Amino acid sequence: MAGGGEALGGSKTPRRGKTGKRKAKKRVGFRLDMTPLVDITFLLLTFFMLTTSMITPQTMEMSVPPEMDVQIEVRESELLTIRVRSDGKVFVNMGLDAPSLVTMKELRKIVIDQNIALKNRCIVTLKASGNASYGLVVEILDELNAAEPYIIEGLKRDGINERKRKFTVAPYTPDDDKEVVAL
Amino acid sequence: MSKVKKKRLGFVLDMTPLVDITFLLLTFFMFTAKFRSEAESQQKFVIKRPRTQVDTSKLPEKDLVMIKIGIDTVRLDTAYYISMINEKDVAEFARQMMALNFPNATDRTALFKITDSLWLGKAIEHTRGINPRAVYAIDADRRLPYRWVETAINEMRKRRATSFRFVTDKKQ
Repeated sequence: MAGGGEALGGSKTPRRGKTGKRKAKKRVGFRLDMTPLVDITFLLLTFFMLTTSMITPQTMEMSVPPEMDVQIEVRESELLTIRVRSDGKVFVNMGLDAPSLVTMKELRKIVIDQNIALKNRCIVTLKASGNASYGLVVEILDELNAAEPYIIEGLKRDGINERKRKFTVAPYTPDDDKEVVAL
Repeated sequence: MSKVKKKRLGFVLDMTPLVDITFLLLTFFMFTAKFRSEAESQQKFVIKRPRTQVDTSKLPEKDLVMIKIGIDTVRLDTAYYISMINEKDVAEFARQMMALNFPNATDRTALFKITDSLWLGKAIEHTRGINPRAVYAIDADRRLPYRWVETAINEMRKRRATSFRFVTDKKQ
């Protein structure tokens, strides 16, 4: 006789059932079928991978002055006007100068130069025609935002550490249209 | 002497690393997944957002009032769609819009389709009353004429909501 059977048989304790005849098997671990678990996991993984969208929308922050009845007077020489015509053409003028047609790159350069030259006093006004596309208006706002780091850098070179941004949107009036219609 | 051919009994492949990675990915996707809100599931149009390069700020997840301006894909008309994001605000907004006799408003409506500036103004006013900390966001289609957005800005301005956000997509 081998193993535990003999050892246990030696102690004369009574055992349940067929005592002394059964061999005590050594446990070598157990096998669990993982296939259904893996199936479900793959199914869920596929579902979540296909339904998740990784591109989250971002936002552009805007602040406009509140509606006021009181008129605020500003110096014409410090006013940079950006006009967007209904056909999508962009015009820029400083103060009372004649508006000139610009590209997006030129617009950014003008905004940077004027803001640095006027040392924070430059007021940028955006006047967009109601028929111009919203996408174009956002593109211009994006250019103005992109210009900010260069303006801050330029102002720092001049010894000004604080940037005060002055920006507003104004309605595009028939007078504005007259200014740029022939250009 | 002829060799005794052994019978192949199949093979054992250790699946543990594969299952590990699968569980890891599953957990990641489960935690990052976001379910569509009631207002989003009531939306029947797709918005092509303007693309920008500079912005990095994300859309806030609470106290948000979303003003969508979209082109209906079935009826091809443009309208404002206003919704609130906080769960209790959605119910309160629906209740108040019903009290105002807004056409087709039910207590299950989360996205209100508005076609005129008068109703838009009223809706904005009520959202401010419901949640004084409300943050406004305009999510408009880039192909739309700017006057649609201008009207929404003016209506917000009249109600002292002078800070808002434009929802954009990142330029690739």
